[in-house]
Amino acid sequence: MPMTGYAGRILRVDLTKRTWQKEVLDPELALRFIGGRGFNAFRMFREIPGGTDPLSADNKLFFATGPLAGTLLPGARFNVSAKSPQTGIFGDSNAGGFFGPEMKFAGYDQIILEGKCSELSYLLITADGVQFKPAAHLAGMDVWQTTTEIRRELGDSRVQVACVGPAAENGVKFCGIFADLARPAARTGMGLVMASKNLKAIAVRGSKPITIADRDRFLRLLKEIDEMIFNHEQYKPRCALGTTRLLSSLNALGCLATRHYLTGRFEKANDVSGERLASTWKTKSKACFACTIPCSRFFIVKEGPYSGLRSEGPEFEGLAGFSSRVGNGDLGLALKGVDLCNRYGMDVISTSECISFAMECAEKGIISAKEADGLDLSWGNGETILTLIRKIAYREGFGDVLADGVRAAAEKIGRGSEELAMHVKGLEIFQADPRGLKGYALGLAVSSRGADHLRSEPSFEFSEDREEAIRRYGVPEAAFRLEYKGKGRLVKDFEERSALADCIEICKNTVVNMEVIYFEMAAALLKAVTGLDTEPSDVQKACERVVNLERCFNVREGLSRADDTLPRRFLEEPLGPECGPSAGSVVELRPMLEEYYEARGWDIETGIPTPAKLADLGLTWATPH
Amino acid sequence: MYDLRVVVDHIKGSCDMPMHPGDYFEVRGSRIYIPDNKYMCLWALQSLMAILPAKQRDSSDPDDWLPAARYMSCPDPNGMVIFRIDRIERTSSESGVGANGPGIKIKPELCSGCRACELACSFSRAGVFDPGVARIRVDKDEPEGHDIPIVCRQCADAPCVNACPFGALHKDKTTGAILVTYEKCKGCRKCEAACPNRAVFFHRETKKVLICDLCGGDPKCVSRCVTGAITVREPSEKEGECR
Repeated sequence: MPMTGYAGRILRVDLTKRTWQKEVLDPELALRFIGGRGFNAFRMFREIPGGTDPLSADNKLFFATGPLAGTLLPGARFNVSAKSPQTGIFGDSNAGGFFGPEMKFAGYDQIILEGKCSELSYLLITADGVQFKPAAHLAGMDVWQTTTEIRRELGDSRVQVACVGPAAENGVKFCGIFADLARPAARTGMGLVMASKNLKAIAVRGSKPITIADRDRFLRLLKEIDEMIFNHEQYKPRCALGTTRLLSSLNALGCLATRHYLTGRFEKANDVSGERLASTWKTKSKACFACTIPCSRFFIVKEGPYSGLRSEGPEFEGLAGFSSRVGNGDLGLALKGVDLCNRYGMDVISTSECISFAMECAEKGIISAKEADGLDLSWGNGETILTLIRKIAYREGFGDVLADGVRAAAEKIGRGSEELAMHVKGLEIFQADPRGLKGYALGLAVSSRGADHLRSEPSFEFSEDREEAIRRYGVPEAAFRLEYKGKGRLVKDFEERSALADCIEICKNTVVNMEVIYFEMAAALLKAVTGLDTEPSDVQKACERVVNLERCFNVREGLSRADDTLPRRFLEEPLGPECGPSAGSVVELRPMLEEYYEARGWDIETGIPTPAKLADLGLTWATPH
Repeated sequence: MYDLRVVVDHIKGSCDMPMHPGDYFEVRGSRIYIPDNKYMCLWALQSLMAILPAKQRDSSDPDDWLPAARYMSCPDPNGMVIFRIDRIERTSSESGVGANGPGIKIKPELCSGCRACELACSFSRAGVFDPGVARIRVDKDEPEGHDIPIVCRQCADAPCVNACPFGALHKDKTTGAILVTYEKCKGCRKCEAACPNRAVFFHRETKKVLICDLCGGDPKCVSRCVTGAITVREPSEKEGECR
């Protein structure tokens, strides 16, 4: 039976031999791994042997989108995965915008890139296959220039371009792959993998329809989802502010990453908040593909030294990264910092961590101004912040020390800086203070790509809904952010909800945070769209399978329970009295971890999935030796 | 009269001004508006001057080349900056075009650029999700943040109808929509050239014309648009009130 919903083909490109082939999507794979991140996890485990050098031609780069992307479901996305040169483990990043659906309209659920181009190139991918294009003229161009130039030379403004900027070409470890100018798959250095393959960009242009198995049923389900979204209490604030609303709300809770987590309250939060941006320079709301929640924004800076700066964005992570995290109260400067990262092609979380780490090191006397090229590393120094972003991107002077990520920078600097490096497994921590969000803290510690909130996003812990917490997780504490009980089971559930969003490739805000699509609805949608016979329990199991397989990948790379931890500050130093409701809080990691391993069916001593659990998930072949 | 947006479409040579693709200015009535912190090359402007008032005016003559001519080059043979002149909106309805009929109303400043309208159109008309067969498309200028839904605006004098040599198009008396007799369409694209809104599309496979027919009175793009960028213009509403 031909599958609907899916594009039905996987494109495998050999960059060394300049050849490509189309493989038929196996329906069994579709049932077991759904799509997107699930497809990538399967290929990653199967095709990248343990110990592979992430920057060698043996590493592979996987792009995948999901069965529900490209339909009218709100907010289509795509995942990019490879072994990470930044962390040395499972690398993966997800982005919205328009690239994912275009890839599907071109006829591919997944694109696999193997080998390495002999010279700097870009690919044009259409329904007809792959064209290898020379890209010497694009060398050194930033993300905006590259995207604009490729569209111009192909004479098609509707071509979707995913590209890397100069930072990736210069070997910066935390480089992303950027689509739609400012929508990056930014985390874990996927841009550097692409650059290491001498690949500047992938341009896709679709010309094929996406078909639906049961159109009437699909429209009925869509109507149900529409109503859930439009009637949701978060609908209006999300339309107005998107993720930028978190800056002021986390600040009020006393857990906004401020001056490198020295405190959870930023005294200038009102000057740099999402509300401030919305009431001053926001010119209109923007949205990803087919989304009913236009949570993004376009802005034009209207005054000050960055007057005229314009872009889509920023999201909360960039906005807080270049304001509270580095101690800067100038909104224009924060926007400029995000814009520079977008143009050079770097992850805003990692970049802002590297800079704020350097600032704390300087404050503590661990590094001198001389070591930092004479830069004044005091909190919020705008010139230093912008100079360091550029120096990192071009690996100049002190920027070269930071360009390998904060873990490597601290190893180089030494002198006790190691415990100030705010990362897990080599990936830098986001802009909320984990001490104020215990479920998120656990999620950061166990995530398969290193410190990352988007692997679990357990936003239920803000709900304060006791009864629902008891029903779902057995204890009322699970609904309260400062409690640690029940968080192991909460994070397990939300890891699977997040895996669901990443596999069907629909926005996590809708699927996870607003809880609009859970396994029942997902199974109904998958049935209506793909025609595959799947039950809610099958969908849940597929998501659990993805989480377990990613864990197995990392175990094969040598990771175990000892790596599931957080920087010492979050475990031992309580948030200060100025942090209001979060004051005095630290992360009780150990009991949460043990509850989590137990909920997962993993060995509590080692954190490794048990053979019984893997057999239950049909993953016996991935059992660690 | 039309308002115009003059956009740097691409640069064939090397402009040392420099102008950049996406740079634009607008002509509203007799005024030129250049966005904050942008500039316009004097030499290029002087080469465009004569055609701007001509592009602003209405023309229903099917042999008039002005509605179709959109690209102008700067006079510097080394620069070769190519400008595209888009008609963005009608400033008054006095000339009668679409003045009192129903139709689609566009507010580009509200458009989030999500393109759900394209999917709603293709799903409703072709039963699949495929922007390539939609009768509406969103033109996007990402660096400048412009998103402009391009769709038939049911002009009263319908230059596309007049331009068709085969009589394949006609205007529905009640809805004002342009309807197609597909047996007559030869895919010659004369209607495309005549359309002042660039709102005529062609099917990828059949090569025949695709034009909004208002879904028979309940446009699916409108019901899918959450921002209010695409709405239905009531018969009593003058088109000039769009902006």
